[in-house]
Amino acid sequence: MELLTYTFVQYAFLGGVLMAVLTGLLGPFVVQSRQSIASDMFAHVALSGIGAALLIGVSPWWGALPALIIVSTLIWWLLNSGTYSPDALAMFFLSGGLALALAFVHVARDTVFSFENYLFGSILTLTTLDVIAMLAATIVVSSLVWFFWYPLLGATQSPRYLVPFTNAPKIVQLLFFWLLAVVVWIGIKTIGGLLIGALLVIPVLTAREWASSFKQLVLLSILVSVMSVTSGLLTALYVDLPPSSLIISMTILLFTLQAIVAAMWRKGAT
Amino acid sequence: MNNPVITVEGVTKVVAGRRLLDDVSFTIAAQSLVSLIGPNGAGKSTLVKIILGLDEKYTGSVTIGSGQRVQYIPQLVIDDQYQLPMSVYEYISIATNRLYGTKQKTVDFQKALAHVGVSADKLHQTHTSLSGGERQRVAIARALLGDPSILVLDEPLAAVDYASRAGLYALIRHLQQDHKMTVLLVSHDIDSVLPLSDQVLCLNQSLHTDCHPSDFTAKDGQYNQAVHHHC
Repeated sequence: MELLTYTFVQYAFLGGVLMAVLTGLLGPFVVQSRQSIASDMFAHVALSGIGAALLIGVSPWWGALPALIIVSTLIWWLLNSGTYSPDALAMFFLSGGLALALAFVHVARDTVFSFENYLFGSILTLTTLDVIAMLAATIVVSSLVWFFWYPLLGATQSPRYLVPFTNAPKIVQLLFFWLLAVVVWIGIKTIGGLLIGALLVIPVLTAREWASSFKQLVLLSILVSVMSVTSGLLTALYVDLPPSSLIISMTILLFTLQAIVAAMWRKGAT
Repeated sequence: MNNPVITVEGVTKVVAGRRLLDDVSFTIAAQSLVSLIGPNGAGKSTLVKIILGLDEKYTGSVTIGSGQRVQYIPQLVIDDQYQLPMSVYEYISIATNRLYGTKQKTVDFQKALAHVGVSADKLHQTHTSLSGGERQRVAIARALLGDPSILVLDEPLAAVDYASRAGLYALIRHLQQDHKMTVLLVSHDIDSVLPLSDQVLCLNQSLHTDCHPSDFTAKDGQYNQAVHHHC
């Protein structure tokens, strides 16, 4: 437990819990909207932002945020044009983001840079500024979700809730995309762009059997997410494996355990 | 016709060279129950979305009377096994918040449920645990909380079992008269909706008939054949 006294470990736990709260909070909306792949798409778009930031010489992580906000707005606009299907758009931006990122990094090849930190996370390297930024993002995202709770519920329903003579539900959908963009932005720094989707989706699948309302589902998802992150990080202190891998392994373990318990519960009930 | 609250003039919609609606014109009088009928692919849902301002890519004009409050009940999706848990309270609250111009309290929810024949203790149950008929009644209760003067229902009973349909149609007619609403009812269930309707619109890309239900000659109650002939 002496390891817990190190600042970088404390920052990892703090950043990890903030990320877990955000993914647990937004994950149910993501799953409900049938856009689980969107987090992967956003993560690849973030990589192009990171590449662009390298080119102009700013911090890669901070460069990812404007790219995410701009492209999520573009995706929202294209989706609402009704011309392209969501899965085709996902593949367009997923592959396109990665291709652009590779090109940008190649052009900026004088810079010593590894994509791996953003693909698989670098939670043990968080700085004070990173943690403050995460805390601020968590407060902003949580406040907006709380304030627009029911409109977000309607905007992510399938089929989407529509209101005659107003674009309000469409605007709420844009807000949802921006919130998801911010969560992915936090995710690429902590658990990694390729793994953030698992933390958005698996806790929801774990909790859905035990919830009877959406509010309960969100609270249980946050609980599962926080349990996965803290247990994964604790294990990483003693086992020589990447923290991101261990965190996702914990979510899969919790999902499997609940599936067994749920099956036994159902068997007992019949 | 007195006091038209909905006026549709020359509405045409073309998608990829295909004419979904072709020069559709009609008016709907205040406090009437109007059925919009027609075969699959006739453009009924497209026309409804245009009337509701949810589809703006068309030519022609749609005018809604000033001061009208419109609520819309889309087709019910009943067999969605991927639906995440949502309570009836949450389902209703989606529509009743400040952003959409209505703010109601739990006590109003209970009254609204009772009004459509759903027990108030269902308010905190999971929405998916309700039967198709109950879910449609809850959808109507949610729309009524918006205090509409115009209520548009798109295939309201498509996913409801046959035994529940008569009661629900009677409820829609009763609520229309009780709340003095104008109701536009899109339906395939011609035998059931025609006897309730004040006006019938037969659509098949263009409007083939705009008439009173008595204009249909039903033989042994077989309205379907009569409508098929007209549409």
